[in-house]
Parts: sequence; C-alpha cells; structure tokens
Amino acid sequence: MASTTPVTARIDPDALARALEGCARGDHACLREIYDKIAPQMTGVALRLLRRRDLAEDVVHDTFVRIWEKAATFDPARGSAVTWMFAILRHRALNVLRAEGRTDLTDDFEPLALASDAPDAEAVVCALSEAGALRRCLERLDPPRRVAIVLAYTRGLSHGELAGRMGIPLGTAKSWIRRSLLALRECMA
Amino acid sequence: MSEDLHALAGEYVLGLLAGDEAQACAGRLAADPAFAMAVEHWRARLAEFDLSAPAQVPSAAVWDRIAAATAAPPALSSPARARRPSAGWGAALSAVWESLPVWRGIGLGAAAATLLLALGLGFQMREAARAPVLVAVLLSGDNRPAAVVNTFRDGRAELIPLAALRAPEGKSLQVWTLWDRARGPVSVGLVDALRSLDLQLKGLPTAVPEQLFEVTLEPAGGSPTGRPTGPILMKGTASRAL
Repeated sequence: MASTTPVTARIDPDALARALEGCARGDHACLREIYDKIAPQMTGVALRLLRRRDLAEDVVHDTFVRIWEKAATFDPARGSAVTWMFAILRHRALNVLRAEGRTDLTDDFEPLALASDAPDAEAVVCALSEAGALRRCLERLDPPRRVAIVLAYTRGLSHGELAGRMGIPLGTAKSWIRRSLLALRECMA
Repeated sequence: MSEDLHALAGEYVLGLLAGDEAQACAGRLAADPAFAMAVEHWRARLAEFDLSAPAQVPSAAVWDRIAAATAAPPALSSPARARRPSAGWGAALSAVWESLPVWRGIGLGAAAATLLLALGLGFQMREAARAPVLVAVLLSGDNRPAAVVNTFRDGRAELIPLAALRAPEGKSLQVWTLWDRARGPVSVGLVDALRSLDLQLKGLPTAVPEQLFEVTLEPAGGSPTGRPTGPILMKGTASRAL
C-alpha cells in the first residue's frame, strides 16, 4: 500500500499531451510512450476499483485502444490530456463494475462493514500528497463523510451501497455526499 | 445557485450514479458546456486519487493485445480519417512495394507473430460479438501485418486491410486461398485497392486451420491463367479463433 514515490513526479503532463497529439497523427510509437508512462498507474486504479487483475487488465487494454481511436477528438482547451485518459479508464472500469454486478466483485466485503473499510479509506487519504488541496480539504470533513467520498471514488460504490455499508437510509447517504461534495468544492476553489 | 449542477457533476465523476443516470450525464456532457466544465473541474480536483493508487505493472500480454488491436492506422477505424496522414504505415508499405524483388518467404518469427495477432484479434472480435471461427493475419514481405481474414460459421469470410495498398496502373490485387495443394490456389477476390471485402468462398470446402490466404499483384482484371502469376504481396495461414 505504501507507495511513497511521488507519482506526480513520474507523470509529466506536457510530455503526455505531446504523445497524445502524436497518436492523433497516427504515430504508434507515441501510444507506446503513453503506455510505458501511465499503464502501471492505470492498472493500479482499475485494480482498486475492480479487485480482479484480469478485469483490470482488460479495462486498461480497452482504454488504450480507445485513446488511439479518439486521440484526434481530444480538445486541450477543455482539460488536460492525463485527466482525459484517466476519465476514459474510469468510465470503462465503472461500466465493467456495473455489468459484472457489483456484488460479485464486492462479496469479500462484510455487509455493513464500513468500520473495516475505514482504515483502507484513511490509507488512501494518507497516500495523497500532503501538499495537495484534495488531502487538506478531505481532512476537514467528518471522518464518516470523508470515508464515503473516498470509497465512492476509489471503489466505485453506489449511493445504495454506501448507505448499506454505513447503515444509514439512502436519502441520508445522498445528502451526506452532496453536502460533502459542495464543501470540497468550496475548500478547493 | 448552480449548486445542483456542481453536485450532480461531482456525483457523476465519483461514479455514484446508476446506469441510466450516468448515461443521461454522459449525454449532457456533449450538449451542455456548463455541465462539461463542472465535470472537468471535478475530474481535475479528484485526479489526485488516481495518482494515489499503488502502481501495478500490467502483464506483457496487455500491450501485445493493444498493439494488435491498434495495428491499423487510426484513419481506418476513425471517422476523422481525412484529417490524418497515414505516415508510418503508408511510407513503410510503399517502401516495401518498391522492393518487390527482395520479398521473401515468411519465417518462424512471423509465425509466432501471426499466432499472437490471431489471439489478440480473436479477443477483439469476440468482444464485438462477431466471433469468427478462423482468423488469418496476412503479413507483408517485411513481416508486418497487412490484412486480416476472418471466416465465420455460416461460411462467410471477410478481408480487412490493416494498411493502405493500391495496385499501380494496369494492375490488380487478387486474393487467393489454398487448402489443397493438389487443387492449387483458388481466386476469392479481386480489387484495385485493398479495402474491407467479402471473400467469395461459396462452393469451396469449409475453411480449415492452416488454410493459406494470400494477395498477389496481377494484371488488371486478374490473373489470365487462373493461378497466381505475380509477386505475393502478403500471406498468412488461418488459426482457430479462441
């Protein structure tokens, strides 16, 4: 869990943006360059969501095929290349999570076992850069709400699953998340 | 005022929304610039989570499959085709074209590559729920994948080019298959430029593993003898799709 290397140092957004432009021109070497730089990170993200290595690798495969096909449609004016590529990955992974039936992939969780998830979620927070706004702002939230946000993003839990795990009504879970999001947004502005 | 917009965008980026809600948001992304910007902000804010996942080196097969699936220049699979010069592949193939005499048979390395590509492509095809029975990757003289032949359970077969190739003036490209040396190669397609085409296998025995497919350069209108007469531009044998 304790990958202490600052990952941001390994991912150079400008180099990746240039490589993505290369893909748009049909330069296959640029796809390989992107793969070498971020495929391990993407595999880590997909594995955290899907918890099965074969599924995670399939999602990484699909993501790179998609990056290659859609490189020309990427618009740098709308966001960073890295964010765009990870958004493709998350979109794919969440689709797989939904299609496979979340229960299959999460049945190693105890029901209502938020207590056992909490240390994992706190470990995620600890792995965030201390200098980063996300960590600073997450730490301002009440612990259960912080855990809910972290689990939603890193495990792909739905509103209903969060409610079940926290032992609170669905409506309450929704309003927690919503208020936490707005607090994060204000804090990170 | 726009709290609803930002909260919804945040829920979407967190991945909390169920299938139909998520789809509605995906649609709104394209149509509503304010929503798209809110989503982009959330993605940027939460990107730090992605960087916190412990990196995992994917197995080598993952890149092999990606390479097989993206072997075609994106122009072939993307609507943006007019905007993209097919630099690498076009140039490589025309260089090969100019050195026709040095084209040689296909070695062991190519056989391994064929198998690998067939596995990769087999996977791709299954994903698309098309399920070919046999796949043949046709390699050019310099052992690059130049086309794929898929045969299907109902007897259909198709050729899909992986690189642009056009016959010079006064010539044609002829597709052949060989399953029985006694019978010899049979013509199953004739084109001026390589494109996706259905091969005419009707009346022929069902395709089998190891059946050879090849493309030769022939006089315009096809070989006058009914047998390949010109140089082989690409060839490969069929393998069973997994």
